[in-house]
Amino acid sequence: MIPRVEARAWLRELLLGTRMALAGGASGWLRAGLTALGVGLGVALLLFAVSVPHAISSRQERTAARDDVSFETPPPPSDATILVGTADTSFRGDPIRGRLLQPEGAHPPVPPGLSEIPGPGEMAVSPALARLLASPDAELLRERLNYPIVATIGDEGLAGPTELAFYLGADDLTLANDTVTRRDHFGEPRIGRTLDPVLSLFVVVIVVVLLVPVTLFVAAAIRFGGEARDRRLAGVRLLGADARMARRIAAGEALGSSVLGLVVGGAIFLIARSFVDRVELFRRSVFPSDVQPDPVLTLLLVVAVPVASVAVTILSLRRVVIEPFAVTRQSGDGRRRLWWRLLLPVVGVVVLLPMLGSLTQSEGEVNVTMVSIGVTLVLVGVAALLPWAVQAAVHRVQGGPVSWQLAIRRLQLDSSAPARAVMGIAVAVAGAIGLQTLFSSIEANYHVLTRAAPDRAEIYLSLPLEDGWADVERLDREVVAIPGVLSVHSRATQAAVIDPAAGLASHDQPTTLVTVGTCDTLRELAELDSCAEGSVFIAPEAQQANTVRAIPAPGATLGFLDVRADSPEVVAEWTLPATARTVAGRLAPNGDEVFGVLATPSAVPAEVLASWPGWGVAYVDLEDVGSRDWDVAERLSTVVWGVDPGGYLTWTTAALATDEFAVVQNGLLIGATVTLVMIGVSLLVGVLEQLRERRRVLASLVAFGTRRRTLAWSIVWQTAVPVALGLVLAVLAGIALATVLLKIVNEPVAVDWSIIGLVAGIAALVVLAVTALSLPPLWRLMRADGLRTE
Amino acid sequence: MSNALLVATDLRKSYGPTAALAGASLTVRAGEILAVMGPSGSGKSTLLHCLAGIVPPDSGTITYAGRDLTAMSDVDRSALRRSEFGFIFQFGQLIPELTCLENVALPLRLAGVRRREAERRARSWLAQLEVEDVANKLPGTISGGQGQRVAVARSLVTGPRVVFADEPTGALDSLNGEKVMLLLTQAARDTGAAVVLVTHEARVAAYADREVVVRDGVVHDRLAQSLGRAA
Repeated sequence: MIPRVEARAWLRELLLGTRMALAGGASGWLRAGLTALGVGLGVALLLFAVSVPHAISSRQERTAARDDVSFETPPPPSDATILVGTADTSFRGDPIRGRLLQPEGAHPPVPPGLSEIPGPGEMAVSPALARLLASPDAELLRERLNYPIVATIGDEGLAGPTELAFYLGADDLTLANDTVTRRDHFGEPRIGRTLDPVLSLFVVVIVVVLLVPVTLFVAAAIRFGGEARDRRLAGVRLLGADARMARRIAAGEALGSSVLGLVVGGAIFLIARSFVDRVELFRRSVFPSDVQPDPVLTLLLVVAVPVASVAVTILSLRRVVIEPFAVTRQSGDGRRRLWWRLLLPVVGVVVLLPMLGSLTQSEGEVNVTMVSIGVTLVLVGVAALLPWAVQAAVHRVQGGPVSWQLAIRRLQLDSSAPARAVMGIAVAVAGAIGLQTLFSSIEANYHVLTRAAPDRAEIYLSLPLEDGWADVERLDREVVAIPGVLSVHSRATQAAVIDPAAGLASHDQPTTLVTVGTCDTLRELAELDSCAEGSVFIAPEAQQANTVRAIPAPGATLGFLDVRADSPEVVAEWTLPATARTVAGRLAPNGDEVFGVLATPSAVPAEVLASWPGWGVAYVDLEDVGSRDWDVAERLSTVVWGVDPGGYLTWTTAALATDEFAVVQNGLLIGATVTLVMIGVSLLVGVLEQLRERRRVLASLVAFGTRRRTLAWSIVWQTAVPVALGLVLAVLAGIALATVLLKIVNEPVAVDWSIIGLVAGIAALVVLAVTALSLPPLWRLMRADGLRTE
Repeated sequence: MSNALLVATDLRKSYGPTAALAGASLTVRAGEILAVMGPSGSGKSTLLHCLAGIVPPDSGTITYAGRDLTAMSDVDRSALRRSEFGFIFQFGQLIPELTCLENVALPLRLAGVRRREAERRARSWLAQLEVEDVANKLPGTISGGQGQRVAVARSLVTGPRVVFADEPTGALDSLNGEKVMLLLTQAARDTGAAVVLVTHEARVAAYADREVVVRDGVVHDRLAQSLGRAA
């Protein structure tokens, strides 16, 4: 137990230090301000990080509350039901959520964000869509959504502030349309989706990789102004403080700065939060009210930052001897110890080893604690090894030009400050290499190969056919008239029961697909030797997907069903001609396998074509190849909208990421962007602080006539050497981390050097940008004002 | 004044609202040791910085060996400082990460002299100033007096025609101060360099051939002042 007197002395000296943190007039405030800014930036980012769970759940709650998709049988029509039609569209790649609303009585349910249902032909829009529609660039969208806006959708009805959404009143919806459903309420229970084990591991590693550099920066920022502080402490020693008291005063100074940093961080967080609704990253945005830090984690942060600041300061003063007239750093002579620095990543890997081979996409459970500890130790190990590596590398370096000599001597004298400055970058790079290697190895498992052929059709349009074949003809006519469209091949497809007379009650009654199109279109869908109006073909399925689906024989009778009816009934029948030829199906341009009956329009009875309850698809080949022609896409969307708002446009791509993978990928991109910006800003603050501390030395060098170029290069070398060493360490640690993670998820270890080059290149660019930004202040500091003492 | 080396005329310089120089004029003759005295904040350091081409004055002219310093670019003034001037500051301002030998060799290396040759000449100056034993030490590990002698060596190593010394003994005790002044003036006389010595200590100024006083940003000749007071 600490005796009371000693505790009181501790407190007194800590308070004295806290006061000294802000002492010294403008210079003291600047010093404290820089530290507080560094700590504050880190704290703000950590506060945002601990707000993520609430932001995600708020978003999910809102989207669940407006959900209108249900697998239950729709309720019977009543005074309190409403028909809801899906009318999703997009503008230049940005998705627009659209719903058509048609009340069936006086008391329909109202979706969240609306006070009443808009009348037929009237529209309620989200604020972001209102802005977009009012902008001069949205002329092509206005052609599609040319309805009077009578209301704005409230925040509670939107996924996020930048979401583009609308509700359009309608009076012609019927359940015959596949995209229309009947609702007596909005909102479905949230289905808690759990990520598979591999993605869970990925998420845990992402969180650790993004947060460790931020934490390191907070620790580095606490040590800003170390040299000036040491001089102040020498002054305190002169006044009678012993070495232990001086250390406690230093700890108090750090405590004061870190508390100020917490306040600044809180302020940055609150200010940034109020602007958060203006930011959209990778199509995700949140309302300011969604960003609420988790109370427990916030409390932990508020306690941990000051405690860490005291600990970091006391540790940093281990090698500093503060005497009344001088401050001596022993690091120049004493070699740093390697063993404990090496121990950190080794222990990290050892912690991860028991998990090797334990996870697959479908099996295993991620031990979040052990993964977090293991990955953190490996990354912190990089940070710990860096000062040792810098010291070891520059220890015996001699010679070179003046700029090189100045930089190397500086690193030989004290490598810890420059190493600290690049620690965050090194750790972020190590983490990014580990993550990206894991990412690229598992990526293939989460991508669905669409087998699409963009060279045959860049775009395909899908829409329900309310007016049967007439809709397809209209689509064909209007699409081909759009400038920039090279060709269009449209088809109508629906399911039909083979031999309906055998009875529909049986669930295993075989069915097939019937596709109608012109000979040109059918050639896109099957290998045809010859085709003429009236031709009918039968394409067997390459691999039969289910037992109910079958291929009819020529002469078989097909029954077209009204599947929406309570008990399915045949609405039309068609007997296949005996002359129907068997042909091989091709993959459609969008990658769909083609099978079943293929017929030209005149081969199908007119009453069947007129009441066609299926879907129409149009494959559109554009004149522009390679880049996406958004104007043509918008005009195509408008044509689809005119035929049926339930239709949609899709660009054909060879592979699509699965939803969950795409969400995790977006999360990684958002986190990496924010972390990189934060690292850049913190690095800049650190460099500026270092320059400020060396103001007098820089000014005296200028007095001798030192060229600016020489000083600039010395700054570049001083940063570049630790950065280069940091990147080497980061690459080694990143490969080691990736190897262990890949072994955990049972994937073969493959190092992708292009990823490593890219990540290291980005890091080097950040450092170069920071160096470039620090040059103007360097020029200013090189003025002789630094020599003034009065 | 045939041997005038550095001539400043009507220099004015302000830092914000504070006028550091308010029409200062001064002549430095080749080979002379000139003491610039004055109380704290009188503008003597600013005068030195202007004379050395470190800080451009707001107005007024400075000519060095017939060349107008105030009309020169920053690059040209830097080149002039490298080749013609030497500097000593109150706290030595040795570069903490360089050894004493490297500190002394630095001005030569900046002027393009090869390292080996620069260090040979630096070592000879360290010996002349009786601090050869600290050649391989870092400035932080030597005494203030030794540091200041290293700074004197650094100021003279390029063979400058003018040495600017700003309170060179300000941080030293009297014994060390005397030693540094003795070595500085002796070395300057040996090489023929002029010394502009900013100080507020009379015993330091006593090493000078001539004294001027800066008061409120204006230079007064010490002799004329004395005569004025006597009259």
